[in-house]
Formats: sequence, structure tokens, C-alpha cells
Amino acid sequence: MATAIFEQLINGTMMGSIYVLMALGMVLIYGVMHVLNFAHGVLFMTGGYLTHLFFFNLTGSYPLAIVLSILTLALIGVVLEGVIFRPLRDNLRMQIVASVGLILIIQNGVIQLWGPRALQMRTSSVSSLVKVGQLSFTMQHFVIIAVVVSAVTALYLFLTFTRLGTAMRATSQHPEAAIVVGINPNRIYALTFMIACALAGLGGALLGPLFLIFPQMGDAPMLKALSAIVIGGMGSIPGAIVGGFGIGVVESLSTLVIPSDYRDTIVFAILILMLLLRPWGLFGVRVRGEH
Amino acid sequence: MLKVRGLKGGYGGRLIVDGVDLDVAAGEIVTVIGQNGAGKSTILKSIFNMAPVREGVVTLDDQDIFPVSSYQMLTVGLAYIPQHHSVFPKLTITENLRMGGYLLSDAKLLQERVAKVEDMFPILKERRKEYAASLSGGEQRMLEIARTLIMDPKVVMLDEPSIGLAPKMVDLVFSTARLLAEAGKGILMVEQNVRRALLASDRGYVLELGQVRITDEAQALIADERVSRLYMGVRS
Ligand SMILES: Nc1ncnc2c1ncn2[C@@H]1O[C@H](COP(=O)(O)OP(=O)(O)OP(=O)(O)O)[C@@H](O)[C@H]1O
Ligand SMILES: [Mg+2]
Repeated sequence: MATAIFEQLINGTMMGSIYVLMALGMVLIYGVMHVLNFAHGVLFMTGGYLTHLFFFNLTGSYPLAIVLSILTLALIGVVLEGVIFRPLRDNLRMQIVASVGLILIIQNGVIQLWGPRALQMRTSSVSSLVKVGQLSFTMQHFVIIAVVVSAVTALYLFLTFTRLGTAMRATSQHPEAAIVVGINPNRIYALTFMIACALAGLGGALLGPLFLIFPQMGDAPMLKALSAIVIGGMGSIPGAIVGGFGIGVVESLSTLVIPSDYRDTIVFAILILMLLLRPWGLFGVRVRGEH
Repeated sequence: MLKVRGLKGGYGGRLIVDGVDLDVAAGEIVTVIGQNGAGKSTILKSIFNMAPVREGVVTLDDQDIFPVSSYQMLTVGLAYIPQHHSVFPKLTITENLRMGGYLLSDAKLLQERVAKVEDMFPILKERRKEYAASLSGGEQRMLEIARTLIMDPKVVMLDEPSIGLAPKMVDLVFSTARLLAEAGKGILMVEQNVRRALLASDRGYVLELGQVRITDEAQALIADERVSRLYMGVRS
């Protein structure tokens, strides 16, 4: 039993890391722009496809392919913000419609380009196994955990200690005051989208080799990430991290006691329970008018 | 120094500010008074390029600053403190001050300016590591003023700096404004606390329905029977 628990803890931490990447991007966009980007799942998927493309057709190196697809996603983020979300700035409803529209466009675009069938990308990190006691995991499990921990640390340092990161926090707390001190809000919005999309792309690039690359591969991670930020507390960065890892670990552990098909049920049951008992989330602030 | 001519501004639909002329010289405190909804805040927003609809002439030291974006106004020497609290609540006091120097690219200069401003405002220095949200209303006002000083502006515009503050804090805010004026800055205030504001000012404008009705030395306005009747609750 102890080994089974340990195995699921590692699996859960690995999946949780993926959820954390997604959740952080969505929380950044939500915190700065107050809109949920429902297209985040297809950006994750785009990251998977681009990594596949760069890996097989350009570099032959998995790390390099990851870097290129992150950079491409960052660029896509800047373009999406400037071309689609900026003109809709004061219209929250249309921004949500636009992000749902993006899902259709990107998902169908990918099917046009690559076809509807799943792609495989067996990198060496997937083939090589790491033995821990009697258990063995793919190297990719640990690559994912290490890369995500580094990315989260880098993001934390950026937000806390740099001028631009502080300006991002400032803009999310008080947009008008940000303008008054000389911060160009458009630059911050573009930067926010850039970082969030790069994180989603990184998620797809990391998960792609382990599972398959297919048009809906981002859907489940996005739903889990969404649950993570609701459980963690809307807009809270620590909440997104705890929520993401928590969901990953809980859903993995749950397979020890119930059939693994019911994994998602557990996650959404927790979500519903949380909404009933503590709707402002683990780290959220209770707002008057909520109960 | 700051010169405004024929300023109009609004939010689409009816013009709220309808042709205002005003001047602020270096070393002078100028106050615009007027009733609720007269358009006082809209004047400042129109000057600072924050009103959706605006026209007119705005110059600072003869430089045309009308088309300058709000977030670049500090680079031409104009600072603005909005009516409602504008500290960043979940940044520390030091981070708030450093954000005041967001436009400075020289890290050492920023450090020096922050240190200088902290010396001017000892409360802020003592509590530098605390969130701005932990400050009282008056202390937040002081932080807002301190934050604008990092960029060493020529003119500071304050929207109702005394609103909601304890009397002692009101004194502190106005005496700080005087200090800044003595240092050669021009101060443009908007106030509902008419008597106190005029006592602290050199000149004043009385605004009604988006237009300047009376303009005079602050002393003269205090004595003016129309002003006391309308704004100071004195019956004739
Ligand atoms: N963002 C806005 N959009 C539309 N109308 C506005 C906006 N802000 C203010 N107004 C309107 O403009 C008019 C003048 O408002 P303004 O804030 O300039 O008045 P004020 O003199 O500063 O009043 P107060 O003493 O309440 O601060 C009011 O009728 C107000 O309803
Ligand atoms: Mg006002």
C-alpha cells in the first residue's frame, strides 16, 4: 500500500504541476484583466503541436523545441491581446465570447493542419525510466516537476522583485493609480497575456510526449486549472499553486480507492463542496455580499 | 507655469467642463471650489488626458501637453492625485514609492529619490515594509503625495486631498502642500472643504455648472459674500 500511495503521489504531483502552469496563466489574466480566458486549453494544445512540429521538422532537440514553442506562444499571446482583447477591453461579455470563439478557430485550425488523429512524440525522456525502490517512473515525470517548480519560482521572483513585475501587481490592484504613476496599461496587458500563453504552451510541450498530442488535449487540464483557481480563491496566485498541486494529488490518490474513471468526479465534487462551504476559496478574501 | 485655456471635457453626451481658463504659477497654491457634481474632478481629468471627451489648450512651461498620454504626464512634469484612494493596497509602502518612480530608468537615482522622500515623511519610513492598506486614510493621502514627488513634478494636482480626513490630518496635508509650493512647485487643488482650502491657498476659482464664475485671491474669496453664502453655510 505504501508504495502504491507513493506512486500516486508522484503521478499526482506531476499532473498537478501541469495544472499549476495552466492555473497560473489564467489567474494572471484574471488578476490583471478580470476576465477568464477560456481559450487557455487550446493554447496548451497549440504548445503540444508546436513542440511536435519543431522537434520533428526543425531542431531534433526536445529542449530546443520547447523553448521555440514557448516563444511562439508568447508571441501569439501578444497578438491575441492586441488584436482581440484590447478592442474589447471594456466589454467583459464580448471578451468571453471571443475566447470561446478562439477555441473553435484554433481547434479546427489544428485539425485542418494536422488532421484529427493523435500524434506521438516519444522523446528520450519518456523512454528512459527512473527506478525508485520497486517502482519505476519515466524521466519525463521528473522533468515536468522540475521544470514547473523552476518556472513557478522564476515567476514569483519576477513578480516580487522586478520593476515590471511590481508594475503588473500594481496594475491589477489599481489600474487608475497605475496610469497616474506612469505605467502604460497596454504594455502590462500585453505582458500578462504573453506570460500566461507561454506558460500554457510550456504545459502542452511538457505533457505532449507523455500522453498523446490531440486537438482536445487541453480541455481537461483547463477544467482542472479552473477548478484549482476557484478552490484556491479567484485571483490568488498561492491559491492557484496549492489548488493545482492539490487537485493533481487528490485525483491520483483517489484511484487507489475508486475506479480511475471516477477521478474527475472527485475533483468536481470537491469543487462543488468548496463552492458551498467556502465560496471565496482557500486563499481568497471574503467579499461582502458573498456568503 | 500651467496654463489652461478654453478647456472642455466630459464623458460623451453633455459637456461637464465647458470652457475653463486657469493658471497656476510656480510656488502658488490654486484651489478650484464648487458644489458636488460641478465638474471639479472632471477639470483635473481633462487636464490629465483622462476624460474621454476633451478639447482646449493645456501648456506647461509653454510646452503643449494637451496630447500627452496620461501615463506620460509625469515625464513632462505634471502629477495628479485622484479623488479616491490611489495607493496600491497590497504593495508595501516602499514598493508604492518605487512605483512612483516607475518612469525612472536609473536605479541609483530612484534609490536616492525614495530615500529623500522617506526623510520628508517619517511615518512612511517607519512602516516601509507594511502594506499600504494598513495605513490610515490620512497616511494613505501622504503616501500618494510622497509617491508623486519621486518624479519631482513641476505641478501637482490634488483632487479633494482633505476629504474624509481627521482635522489634524487635514492640517498636515495642507501644510505639506504649502511646503511643496515653497519648494517652487505649482499646486492645483480641487476642494469641497471651502474655508479650510481657501485659507491654505493663494488664489481660487469658483466653478459652477462647468464654468468659472468668480476668480480672485483666496483672501478675497473668503470675504466674498457670494462664496460664504453658497459654500460656507453662512446666511446673509
Ligand atoms: N466616469 C463618468 N462617466 C459619466 N459621467 C460622469 C463620470 N464621472 C463624473 N460624471 C458626471 O460628471 C458630473 C461632474 O462630475 P465631477 O466628478 O467632475 O464632479 P465634482 O465636482 O468633482 O463632484 P464631487 O464633489 O462629487 O467630487 C457629474 O454629474 C457626474 O455624474
Ligand atoms: Mg470630484
